[in-house]
Amino acid sequence: MSTVTTKPARGIGIRRKTTKAKVPNAVWGLIGIVVFLGIWELLPALGIVKPEYLPPASEVLVALAKDFTLTAFWLAVGETMLAWFIGLLVAVLLALVLGLVIGMSSFLRRATNSTIEFLRPIPSVALIPLAVLLFGTKIESSLMLIIYACFWQVLIQVLYGVADVDNVAMQTARSYGFSPFQRIRDVIFPTMLPYLMTGIRLGAAVALILAITAELIIGSPGLGKEIQLAQSGGAIAGMYALIVATGLLGVLINVGMRLVEKRILSWHVSVRGEIIA
Amino acid sequence: MKTLTSLLYILALPVLLILWWILATAGGASFFVPTPADLVKTFIDTWIGERMFTDVLPSIRRLLIGVVGAIILGVLLGLLVGLNRTARAITEPVFEFFRALPPPVLIPVLMLLVGINDGMKVAVIISGAIWPVLLNTIEGVRAIDPVQNETSRSYGISGFARIRYQILPSAMPTIMAGIRQCLSVGLILMVISEMFASSSGLGFAIVQFQRSFAVPEMWSGIVVLGLIGVIMSFIFQWIERRVLRWYNGLKEVENAV
Amino acid sequence: MLSNSNGTTGGRTLPEGEALLSVRGLKKVYHTDGGDIEAVRDLTFDLGRGELVCLVGPSGSGKTTLLKCIAGLLGATSGEVLLDGEKVTGPPKKMAVVFQEYGRSLFPWLRVADNVELPLKNAGVPKAERKKLVEEALDAVGLSHVPRSYPWQLSGGMQQRVAIARAVAYEPEVLLMDEPFAAVDAQTRADLEDLIRNVWKKLGVTVLFVTHDIDESIYLGERVIILSSSPTVVQEDIVIDLPAERDQLETRSLPRFTELRHHVYAEIQKAKQGHRPEEAKTTFLTNPK
Repeated sequence: MSTVTTKPARGIGIRRKTTKAKVPNAVWGLIGIVVFLGIWELLPALGIVKPEYLPPASEVLVALAKDFTLTAFWLAVGETMLAWFIGLLVAVLLALVLGLVIGMSSFLRRATNSTIEFLRPIPSVALIPLAVLLFGTKIESSLMLIIYACFWQVLIQVLYGVADVDNVAMQTARSYGFSPFQRIRDVIFPTMLPYLMTGIRLGAAVALILAITAELIIGSPGLGKEIQLAQSGGAIAGMYALIVATGLLGVLINVGMRLVEKRILSWHVSVRGEIIA
Repeated sequence: MKTLTSLLYILALPVLLILWWILATAGGASFFVPTPADLVKTFIDTWIGERMFTDVLPSIRRLLIGVVGAIILGVLLGLLVGLNRTARAITEPVFEFFRALPPPVLIPVLMLLVGINDGMKVAVIISGAIWPVLLNTIEGVRAIDPVQNETSRSYGISGFARIRYQILPSAMPTIMAGIRQCLSVGLILMVISEMFASSSGLGFAIVQFQRSFAVPEMWSGIVVLGLIGVIMSFIFQWIERRVLRWYNGLKEVENAV
Repeated sequence: MLSNSNGTTGGRTLPEGEALLSVRGLKKVYHTDGGDIEAVRDLTFDLGRGELVCLVGPSGSGKTTLLKCIAGLLGATSGEVLLDGEKVTGPPKKMAVVFQEYGRSLFPWLRVADNVELPLKNAGVPKAERKKLVEEALDAVGLSHVPRSYPWQLSGGMQQRVAIARAVAYEPEVLLMDEPFAAVDAQTRADLEDLIRNVWKKLGVTVLFVTHDIDESIYLGERVIILSSSPTVVQEDIVIDLPAERDQLETRSLPRFTELRHHVYAEIQKAKQGHRPEEAKTTFLTNPK
């Protein structure tokens, strides 16, 4: 009895190699960027939007270029990245440890399920007032929000990963007298690694969002705070420039994390010789 | 008996935590942490009553409008772009940029462009919550099985009919995942837009409490936010289970093989 | 004695206006980054009304390409396909296709009856008539007991039956089948082969059946068109003169069956080795006895 999956794959039978694309995708993408910048330039220039509210793209890009020469800018970037990194690191370590401990015990899994499902949807921004009370405008405020939000992202993934471990492999390891540590290293970790990487990738994006949010709202050090300062000081083009910089930072992080994930997972595959679904 | 054990599992840890909380504050509330009794009382005093109508319901209303708007716009745009390879290529870098941009950062921008009003808050929610739906719709439509497409074509199912009968249902699992993210982003943006630029609403109220050091009230506000998040999550899961019943069944069968 | 009516290379053709489906000089070239690939060079044959014709060939002989061109799912580089005298430019209304991958062709979010009903619904057939057609189609394939099931709850053979029911309910003039039983186990395949012959006889539909299974093509077909290897032309067009009543055990043990099978097998071996026919023959093999 064969059940055919609905995983999409290449078309039936025909050894169809991709027909020559007349214009490569990268060129289309570039066109998209140019069109977007063009519209941005025209909207204030034509008066459709007041230039005080939306400076033309050229003005913003010039301000951005200027920022790149200022130490204060890079300092702010560094502060954001510091909060991002530490927050993500702590969250990942906590989630990994707790996830393994909970995941390996079916009792713990069932006992903690309701609590996790209840705490998970609580938006971390709800903790902003608490953070302000506890830490004021120090970087610890950012960290509190980042760690709380990222922790859940990674924890869920780790739990999925541990749940995906092949029972037979686990029992075999146990019957051969593997210590818990060995079981984790040799049986659980390889299966869980792709899930962990997904969790870290998601957490990385969330960490940036929360870092910027904390800086914007609370005033902890970083790009978000600079944006808020620019806004209240009326430096509108500068504010937009910083926003663009934040977006670029986000893109860098996303791209970087995808590369890291690919690297680690390909090493993982070559070492383990398994195919990861 | 089985339901009893399930019930036990669900309640055990939360009950333990609450007991611990009661014990820890038994000697009197600290500045930062109220006793459970305090919190319940404050919760009722603060939120059940006038504030429900001046702050809570308007916030929820804005959230719903924003999220529904984001979903509709996101799916429509996603269909338009997803079905056309050139459109996908053109929009990809710009969309990637906006996906990576932390949504709260657009609040100052929208304040300038739209002013400080209800419209701005809804705009903030939509501006952030649309991306997961939009990008997931594009991805869902892009990845449709070619055999399915050929089946539709061979039976003359095209245009709107094809979108309705084949494309949307096929992409629904991916779209639902995007909607789930959309809901959490929407909630975050609702809170932040009110904390940052508002004189009413849930977020504003909580910040006011914090600024005036009304700590138990602040906590009660956090609880309200938590409840909204949890309720939204449950409602979504319930809807998802029904809409994707076929998908869940299919996955079960596949995994059993 | 049957022969080509126009004397050129190709399969059997019928006099003007008699054929339901005409393939004339079909050619398909794929343009890829690595250069041009001529999948199909020149295919010419006719299908008369109510015929059951099998297409057989070595793997890579462009069987699926050919079927897709006929179905209007793929555009030909040159040559044409005529259905009832009209040129096929896109999927024609009077044709239905049964794909090999039944799991991916049936819509998993629809129940069996809804899957069968969908093309009719899309064509604007009124509800009462739809219901009747669906019931009859499910009955014809032996699946009246599972209309409310989802396809993925059924076995592979049953899923393919659903796909066949869907095609049958559509009341097409021509039924195209692209190696429909390749992904199914042998026992189920035998049942499905008999099902196709029954459906064909009962409904009088014209069937073009593509397969790589030689035995299957002979068992099923009134006629077998053997394809050469790529770039494909018609290698040979054979009439199957087995009795009209076919049975898995009886028919397959007939000496005539064995002869035909030998012949087709030999031709395919020749095709695999790149033997290109000077002119495709329409063969009515005489019984050596």
